[in-house]
Amino acid sequence: MRDGVRVRASLAAALFGSVVLAAPAGAQDYSGQTLVVGTWGGDIERLLREHAAQPLEEMTGAKVEFLLGGSGDRMSKLYAERENPTMDVAFQNIYEAPQLLSDGLVVAPDEASDAYKAVWPGMNNGCYAMSLVGLGIAYNKDLVPEPPEWADMWTPDYHGMIAMAPYPGSEGDGILGVAARLAGADEHDADAAFAKLAELGPPALTYTSLDEVFALMDAGEVAMAPMISGYVLAALKEYPGIGFAFPTEPGPVLIRDMVCQVANSPNPELARMFIDLALGAGTQKAYAEEIMFGPTNSQVEISEQAATDTINTPEEVEGLLQLDWPYVISQRADWTERWNKQILGQ
Amino acid sequence: MNGARMMQGRRAGAVLLVPALVLVAGVFLAPFLLLVLMSLWSQPQGSLLLDTTLTLKNYLRIFGDPFYLRGLLTTVWLSLAGTVLCLLLGVPLAWWIVRWTGRWRGFVLALVLIPLTCGALLPTLGLVNLLGPLGVVNGTLKALGLIDRGLPLLGNQAGILIGLVQAFLPLMVLPLVTTFGRMPPSCEAAAMSLGARPPQVWRHVLLPLAAPGLLAGSLLVFCACLTSFVTPQVLGQGKVATFATMAYQQASQVLDWPFASALAMVMLAILGLMGVAAWGLGWRLGAQG
Repeated sequence: MRDGVRVRASLAAALFGSVVLAAPAGAQDYSGQTLVVGTWGGDIERLLREHAAQPLEEMTGAKVEFLLGGSGDRMSKLYAERENPTMDVAFQNIYEAPQLLSDGLVVAPDEASDAYKAVWPGMNNGCYAMSLVGLGIAYNKDLVPEPPEWADMWTPDYHGMIAMAPYPGSEGDGILGVAARLAGADEHDADAAFAKLAELGPPALTYTSLDEVFALMDAGEVAMAPMISGYVLAALKEYPGIGFAFPTEPGPVLIRDMVCQVANSPNPELARMFIDLALGAGTQKAYAEEIMFGPTNSQVEISEQAATDTINTPEEVEGLLQLDWPYVISQRADWTERWNKQILGQ
Repeated sequence: MNGARMMQGRRAGAVLLVPALVLVAGVFLAPFLLLVLMSLWSQPQGSLLLDTTLTLKNYLRIFGDPFYLRGLLTTVWLSLAGTVLCLLLGVPLAWWIVRWTGRWRGFVLALVLIPLTCGALLPTLGLVNLLGPLGVVNGTLKALGLIDRGLPLLGNQAGILIGLVQAFLPLMVLPLVTTFGRMPPSCEAAAMSLGARPPQVWRHVLLPLAAPGLLAGSLLVFCACLTSFVTPQVLGQGKVATFATMAYQQASQVLDWPFASALAMVMLAILGLMGVAAWGLGWRLGAQG
C-alpha cells in the first residue's frame, strides 16, 4: 500500500513538473483562438502582419485573421454586430474613434498601460493613436514654382484647378478647418469655412486614387490638391514633377489613424496584446521607414530620412493644426449636404 | 381518379416550391422588410445608434428639401433621357440586326450584348479613359491643336448619359430583336404595295407591331438607368447627384442608414409605379390587338 501511494505521488510530481517545465513563465496558451483584426489592405496589412500578427501568433499560439476594407465598412460592421461583435481590433480614422467610444462600441484606452503612456500626450482620443500624418499640399512644380502656403490655393490663377478628395473624409474636414482659419474663424463656424472654401470654385477633380490625381497634376490639368502625407510621399517617387509641402500658416492639419479594441469582443486579452504590438517599437518604426506614417510612440527611434518625411518630434507635433474632431464628426451629415451643395455645386 | 392525381400533383408542386420560397424569403423578403422598417427609424443627434421609434422624418427630409427633390428630378430626367437615346439608337440597330446581318446575326448580337457580361465598372472605367481630360477624345483634340486644356466631358450629365446608353443599350436591343424577328417581311411588302412610303410603313405598321418590344425595352432601360450607381458615381465625378449616389453616400460614408433606406424606398416606389403603368399600357395594347 505504501509503495502504491509512493508511486502515485511520484507520478503526480512528474506530471506536475513536466507541465511547469513545458509552459513558458507567465504565458497563456491561446491555441485554437482566432483574433480578428479589421484594417486597410496593402502596405498597412503587410506591416501589421509582419510586426504584430506574426509575433503574436508565435507568442500565444492563436491565429490572427485580417478583415480588409475601408474604415466606413468597418464602422457599419461594428454597429450592425453591436450585440455580438466578430471583430476584436478595428483600425479607424481620427474622426470615427470618438464616435465609437461615445456609442459604447469600443473600450476606452487604458491610461495606466505602458502603450498609452508612450503615445504623445492628448492623442489617444477615443482609441489608441496608431500613426501621425499631416494634411499638406501636393502641387505641380511647373505651375506652382515655390512650395505653397494654404492661401496660395486661392490665387486667381489656380481657380478651378484644385483637386479634392471625396467628402466626407479627413481631407475634406481638414481643408474646411484651414479655410475657416483663413477666414478668421475655426471649424465651429461652418458658414465661414464653407464660404471661404467655395471661393476656390468647383473642384477640378474629386479624386479617388493617387494615380488618378497625380496623372492629371503631372499633365498640368490640376495645380494643387490638399492631401495627406504618408502614401503621397511614397507615390511622389514616380512623379518628379510633383512636390509636397507642409504649409506653416496655419500648419498641416493633424490626421491620425487609430487602433481600437472592440467592446465585448470574443478575444479581449489577445486584442490588448495585438494593440501593444501595434504601438510597439517594431511596428511603429516600420510604419515610419516604409510608408512614411509618423509614429505615435514618442520613444521610437527612426532613421534620418524617415524623420525628414514624417511628423515625429515634439516641435513638429506642436506645429500641427488640431481640429475639434468630436465636434467635426457631430456635424458630418450637415456638412456632407453643404459640401454637396456649396462645394460640388450639385 | 384523374382529380385525385391532379390534387396530388399540385401538392407535390407546392412542396417542391418550398426551398425556393424559403430562399427568397430569407435572402430577399426579410432584408426588404428590414429596409422598409429602417426607413422609418432615425439616429439621435451625435450618435450612429438606431432609434427604432417609427417616424416619417426621413421622407419629410427628402420631399421637403429642394436639394433632394432636385436629385430626384435629375435621376428621373437622366433615366428618361437615357431611355429615349436607347430607343433612337436601339430601334435602327435591332432592325439592322434582324433584316441585314443574315448569318452573322448571332455574332453581331453577341457583340451588342458584351457590355452586359462584364459588369458596369469596367466599361465605365473605359469611358473615363475615353472621355477624361487625358483621354482619347481630349488627347486627339489637343494633338490637333484645337484645345489647350481638356474639355469637361466628365462630371456632367452628358458624360453620365453616354455611360448609361453604353451600359443599357443591349436591354433595348434584345427585346426589339425578338419583336422584329417575329414580324414577317411580307408586312412591309404588303404596306408598300398599297402605296405606303417607308416612313409611313414605319409609322403605321412596323412601330405599332413592335409596341410590346418597345415597351419592354423602354421599361428595362428606364429601371436600369434609375437605379444605376456605378455609372453616375464614376462619370459624374461627384458633381451630379442621383438617388443611387446619394443613397451610397448616406449609407457608406455618412452612415445615416435610415435616411439611405428612405432614399432606396423612394426609388423602389418609382419602379413600382413604372411597373404598374407598363402593365396597364401592355394590357391596353393587348386589348387593342
